[in-house]
Amino acid sequence: MRGLPAAILLLCAGVSLHAGADEQRARVNYMLNCQGCHLPDGDGTADRIPRLKNFVGYFLHSEDGRAFLINVSGVASSPLPDSELAELVNWTLLNFSKPQLPVPFQPYTAEEVAELRKNPELDPESRRKRILAELQKTAPQLAIPPVAE
Amino acid sequence: MNWVDRLFEQGVRGVAKRTSRRGALEKIGMMLAGAAATFPLLPVARSEEQESDAAASNEGEESGLKETGDPLSCDYWRYCAIDGFLCGCCGGSHNACPPGSQMSRVTWIGTCENPADGKSYIISYNDCCGKSSCGNCLCQRNERDRPVYRTFSANDINWCLDTDSAIYHCTTARVIGIALDS
Repeated sequence: MRGLPAAILLLCAGVSLHAGADEQRARVNYMLNCQGCHLPDGDGTADRIPRLKNFVGYFLHSEDGRAFLINVSGVASSPLPDSELAELVNWTLLNFSKPQLPVPFQPYTAEEVAELRKNPELDPESRRKRILAELQKTAPQLAIPPVAE
Repeated sequence: MNWVDRLFEQGVRGVAKRTSRRGALEKIGMMLAGAAATFPLLPVARSEEQESDAAASNEGEESGLKETGDPLSCDYWRYCAIDGFLCGCCGGSHNACPPGSQMSRVTWIGTCENPADGKSYIISYNDCCGKSSCGNCLCQRNERDRPVYRTFSANDINWCLDTDSAIYHCTTARVIGIALDS
């Protein structure tokens, strides 16, 4: 029954993971591949591990941000196949950061992920700061909280 | 000034007759004991309280789990990917840190098959940190351990990453979910 509240949430939002997405598989993949560092509730840690909760959705407001979420080393070098990786990233965005997502939310496809993960980001920290600084300027209505140094 | 001396002498002797020095100690002792009941006096890590909450919710996941084997042995099913000292041999248990150490929330996660029901469970190897290496029950099974260049799946690194101190003490193995059959 654990999947039920999230399923209801998705129905209410009028968005869904792409066809063939498996909610439970995405959840387990999050636990096995992400949760060790980003923590069960996506909080991250203040100084080292970026926050997902109520944050990661901001990146989709910029084209470079959208690419960055797949280029970032932990995602690009994941052992998961493209389709499961796309499913996992979409699930993570909807589960942890729905209020920050652009409307309508355009889920990642397996093909898009396959293309983007070919170019892993070697300096994710600088690029992350650059993207967020740019968004703070171009989209002040998002009121992105200041990025920790 | 004699009368001032006498006045104070009488007053002090009166107090000395009516009360005892031990009585004063007793009252101070009572106050300390009462305070200790409300506010702990010894310097213990407050995060332990949060950890015990986390452990309590974790117990929910673990309740009803069919168990087999000895949690103080490296062969115990949950330790299939462990690399470290068993907290059970260090004053804690397989899912709780020894007193005085702090559980890292950032952790190595893998799966192990439970021989009691044949299912694969998701295991979180939370390190306990802040005390020097325990040194008891060193276990190295390393199933599905990956080289350090795959940092997220490598158990050779020190996972004391979000604790007050990065000093490694021992490792727990908490069940956090059931893996899917693949």
